[in-house]
Amino acid sequence: MPISLNYLLKRTAWIFLVVVGVVIFSYMAIILSPGDPAVKWAGNPRGPNASLAIELARRELGLDKPLFIQVIKFVADVFTGNIGLSIAYKIPVFDVIMRRLVATLELLFVTYLIAIPLGVFLGIRSAIHRNGRLDTVLQSLGTVLANTPTFWLGAWLFLTLVLLGAYPYGRVDPKIATSTGFHPITGFYLIDSLIEGNLLVFTNVLSKIIPPAIAISIYPLGVLIRLTRALASDALLEDYIRASVAWGVSRSVIIWRYALKAITPGLVQVIGLAFAYSLVDAMAVEYVVFGREGLGSLLVDSLNYSDFRLAVGLVIVVAVFYLLVNTLTDIIQALIDPKVRL
Amino acid sequence: MSTSIKEFMKPLESSGKRLYGDLSKSFKRYLKRTRFKVGLAITVVILLLALVGPWIVPYPDEGEGYVPPEASQREKQPPSLKFLFGTDTRGRDLFSRVILGARSAVLQITTVISLSLVIGLVVGILAAYFRGVVETVLNYLVELFISIPAVIVALVLRLALGPGLPTIITSLVITWWSWYARVTYVYARSVMEMDYVTLARLSGLSPVKIMTRHVMRNVLTPVLVQAVTDMGSVLLEASTINFLGLGLPLNSPEWGVIMFEGLGVLEIAPWISAYPGLFLLMTALGFSLVGDTLREEMDPRLRRRWRLWF
Repeated sequence: MPISLNYLLKRTAWIFLVVVGVVIFSYMAIILSPGDPAVKWAGNPRGPNASLAIELARRELGLDKPLFIQVIKFVADVFTGNIGLSIAYKIPVFDVIMRRLVATLELLFVTYLIAIPLGVFLGIRSAIHRNGRLDTVLQSLGTVLANTPTFWLGAWLFLTLVLLGAYPYGRVDPKIATSTGFHPITGFYLIDSLIEGNLLVFTNVLSKIIPPAIAISIYPLGVLIRLTRALASDALLEDYIRASVAWGVSRSVIIWRYALKAITPGLVQVIGLAFAYSLVDAMAVEYVVFGREGLGSLLVDSLNYSDFRLAVGLVIVVAVFYLLVNTLTDIIQALIDPKVRL
Repeated sequence: MSTSIKEFMKPLESSGKRLYGDLSKSFKRYLKRTRFKVGLAITVVILLLALVGPWIVPYPDEGEGYVPPEASQREKQPPSLKFLFGTDTRGRDLFSRVILGARSAVLQITTVISLSLVIGLVVGILAAYFRGVVETVLNYLVELFISIPAVIVALVLRLALGPGLPTIITSLVITWWSWYARVTYVYARSVMEMDYVTLARLSGLSPVKIMTRHVMRNVLTPVLVQAVTDMGSVLLEASTINFLGLGLPLNSPEWGVIMFEGLGVLEIAPWISAYPGLFLLMTALGFSLVGDTLREEMDPRLRRRWRLWF
C-alpha cells in the first residue's frame, strides 16, 4: 500500500479542523449579520407563539453567554448532530439532508458514467488527430460545452422531452412505484429497484435520471475532451511508446492501453475537482428544472422558509463532501500512480 | 559594500518590467490566432454593451425592471420588429433587459475577480514568504474556503443579509480568493527559492520590497492569466446563484434572474430563457477563449506542434 497510516491520521485531523472552521464561519454569519440572531435562528416566526420560539432559539444558541462559549457550544452541537429540527421539514436537519444527498449522488454517478467514457474517448481521438480537422471540431466543442450554462441546457432538454410527449419530472413515477409496491432501501432508486427485481421501476427511474444527467455532464465532458487531449498528446511522445511501436505492438493497444494508463493519474485529479464542482450544477438543475428532490430542493426550501438551520447543515455536509472527494482523489491517485506516495 | 550590492541588484530589480513588455509584444502574435480573435471580439462587444447599454436600448426603464402600466396588454409576445427579443412575463421589452444584463455581468465579473485577486495575491505571497505558523494558518484558511461552494455561502448570506449585489459579490469573493491564494502560493514558493531573493534578503532589503519587487512581479503574470480564464466561470457561477434566487432580487436585469423568470413559461414563451442564456454562453466563451490563448502562449509545452508518427 502506498498510503501511510500517518497520512490518513493527518488528513482526518485536517478535515476535522476545516469542518470546525466551516461551522464557526456559518455561526459568525448568523451572529454578525444585522438583526436579532435568535429571530433568524427561529426562522422569522410570526403568530401567537412567535416569542416562545424566539426564546427557545435564544436558549439553543446560548446568546446570554460569552461569545467563545457560544461558539464552542455550537460546534459541539453540530458534531453531535444536534442543531435542532428543520423549520421547513420539522425533522432533524441532518436526517433531511442525508435523505436528499443520496438522490443527488445517484444523479452525479450517472452523470459521470456518461461523461468519463465519452470525454476520454473523444479526447484521445482528438489527440491522435492533433491539429487535424476532427481535433479542431472536438476542441471547439469542448470549449463550448464547458462554458454552457447547465440550467439553460437542462431547460431546453426538459422542453424538448415534454414536447416529444415524455415526462421527465421527479425521480420516479409515483403511480408505477405504488402499483408495483416499490420500497426504497438504500435511497439509490436505481440500485433499490434492481435489488427488488423491479424492472418497471428501474426503467422508469433511468428514463427520469438520464436527461438531468446529460445536462450536468456537459461541463465535465467539455473539460475532459480538452484535458485528455493535452495529456494524451504528451504521453504519446514518450520513449516507451516509441519502444512499443518498434516492438510491433498494435496501434490500438498502444493508444488505449499504454497511453491511457499513463494519463489516468492526471485524469483522476481533474475528475475529482470536476465532480465536486458538478455538485453545484446538480443543485441548480435537479429541483428547479427537473423537480427531483435532491439537495437543490433543500436550497430552495431553506430560502423560502428562512430556514437557517437547514442552511448551516447544508454548508457542513457539502464541505465534508468536498473534503472527502479531495481526499479520495488523492488516495486513488496514490493507488494507481507509482510515483505518488502518501 | 552595501552600495556595491545595491548596484549588483539593479538589473534584477528592474527585471520585472520585461514581463509586461513581453505580454504587449506578443499581443500581435495572439491576434493571428482565430480563437483569440473570436474571444476578443466577443469580449469587446460585451464590454461596449455594458458601457453604452442604457443609451442604445429602446426601453431603458423597462430594462431596469420598471413595469409600465400599459405593459400588461403585451405579456409574453414573441419576437417582432417592435420588441426584438419579444416581451417577458410582465410585458417588458426583453431586448432592453438582456442588453442591460451585460452591465451587471461585467460588474459582477470585474468586482469579484479584482477583489479575489488582491486578497489571493496578498495571502499567497505572505504564506510563501513567512513560512512556519503563518504558512500553516493561511493554508488552513485557503483549504477552508475552497471547501465551500459559492452557492451555499450565497444561501447563508442571502438569509442573513437579504437579496442584492453585496450578497452575490461577497459570496463569490469568499470562495474565489482561495484559488488565487493557492496558485500564488505555489508560484511564489518557487520564486522564494531563487538566489536573487536570498541575495535581496542578505542585502537587507525590507520584506515588503522583496515581496512586491521580486516575488509579486514574477507571480503576477501567471495569476493574471488564470484570472482572465476564470472570468467565464465566475459569470456562470454568479448566474447560477442568481437563477436560484440567492443573489440579485427579482426583476433586476441579470441573465440568471431573467432565465428563472422564463423557466415557468418555457412552453409558452421559450424566448424569455433563450436570449439571456445565449448571451451568458457567448460571454463565458469569449473570456475562456482569450484566457486559453494566453495560457497556451505562456506554457511552451502546450504550444508544441507535432503529428502522430505511427
